[in-house]
Amino acid sequence: MSDLLAADSEIAAIEQLHELGCTDGLPVIVPTPERVERMVLATGLDAGMVLGEMGPLLGVCTVEKLAAAAVMAGCIPDYMPIVLAATQAVMEPEFDLTEMQATTFGTTPLIIVNGPAISACGIASGFGALGPGHRANASIGRALRLAMTNIGGARPGSSDMTLLGHGAKFTQCLAEDEQNSPFESLAVSRGFDTSQTVVTVIGTEAPHSVMHFADADDPDSPIRLLNGFADMLAAPGTNNAALGGGQAVVVITPEQAGELAVAGYTRSSIADHIVDRAKTRSGRAAFQSPDDVLIVAAGGAGLYSFVFPTWCAGAHNNRSVSKAVELDQSCEIPWASAS
Amino acid sequence: MRDGLNAAAKGVPAVALVTEDFWPQGNFVATSFGMPDIPRVQLPHPTAGTGAESMRLIADKVVAEVIAALEGS
Repeated sequence: MSDLLAADSEIAAIEQLHELGCTDGLPVIVPTPERVERMVLATGLDAGMVLGEMGPLLGVCTVEKLAAAAVMAGCIPDYMPIVLAATQAVMEPEFDLTEMQATTFGTTPLIIVNGPAISACGIASGFGALGPGHRANASIGRALRLAMTNIGGARPGSSDMTLLGHGAKFTQCLAEDEQNSPFESLAVSRGFDTSQTVVTVIGTEAPHSVMHFADADDPDSPIRLLNGFADMLAAPGTNNAALGGGQAVVVITPEQAGELAVAGYTRSSIADHIVDRAKTRSGRAAFQSPDDVLIVAAGGAGLYSFVFPTWCAGAHNNRSVSKAVELDQSCEIPWASAS
Repeated sequence: MRDGLNAAAKGVPAVALVTEDFWPQGNFVATSFGMPDIPRVQLPHPTAGTGAESMRLIADKVVAEVIAALEGS
């Protein structure tokens, strides 16, 4: 059982949480025992079950503590299986969470959701999916951030030494637009099947936009788009170029993915092109393998797709991790209950 | 949509060409600028970048609608 705080009112409780450094600077939902218990119930797991350890504090992450973070973030119980899978994913050793939380670089988990939970939870994949206005996206990503703050102990200037930070450190979660993508999903490309809800996490910078004017009369138009991705990722100053050996995310809008598909490109040939092209001025490759470029179809209609360079450091170069949401456990959540 | 609104505000006959994906935004802007009934014609999305031939076909398809909108019918 976690320690209980006392306050005279809801507002006083929020102020107390601010003073204790337990928030992200914005008001939170007060994690009362009843609210946390309801969130725990959504996991189908025991409140005291240990999920792992979070650095740099090396705090023990239990189901109950994570449920408290989800309540504070504004999640509804339906989102809890996603929060759980994302949190388990960042605690895998290859994610290098402890180092990532403490670095001077500006990195934060990007949560990418595939599968049935997208529609069941209403996770946005289109216009402004990573911006404000989408409750599931905002609260799921924020739950992970609050867990990393309160369980992992990452606080700016004392344990999280990011020099500037960026808005995505509050929350960064989106769904892949499986419906409009011409390609197999990210999760399928990583060995899962379409019936599974899969959460992929990767530590990233904020997105960099890549402008592209398509021209169906120009046979080089798709190549210009791919070169734009590669050149942005290998631009001097990115850690991918400076350090190499890391991964990156390319979010292609369905419209631009359509242009690539019509030209005969597949998910793997897109990654091949980017890896071949992404080189520093001295000719060193920014990526070692096409598997290091995660391609996601998402975003609205228009001229921009996006690349997300990464930190590339830590013992495992800050690798991405995918986790299937475990079914049969969340009997309280209709979408997550096995039929 | 803003170009159409600006032209209409100056008394110049105007019709806004708006692609399908931006149609809701066009309606929003037209309403917020106080001209909810400004003439507009929907184009497929994308139209830009689809090649000269494709754009010619789209133009052929909507030209009568554009003229009708300008004539106020």
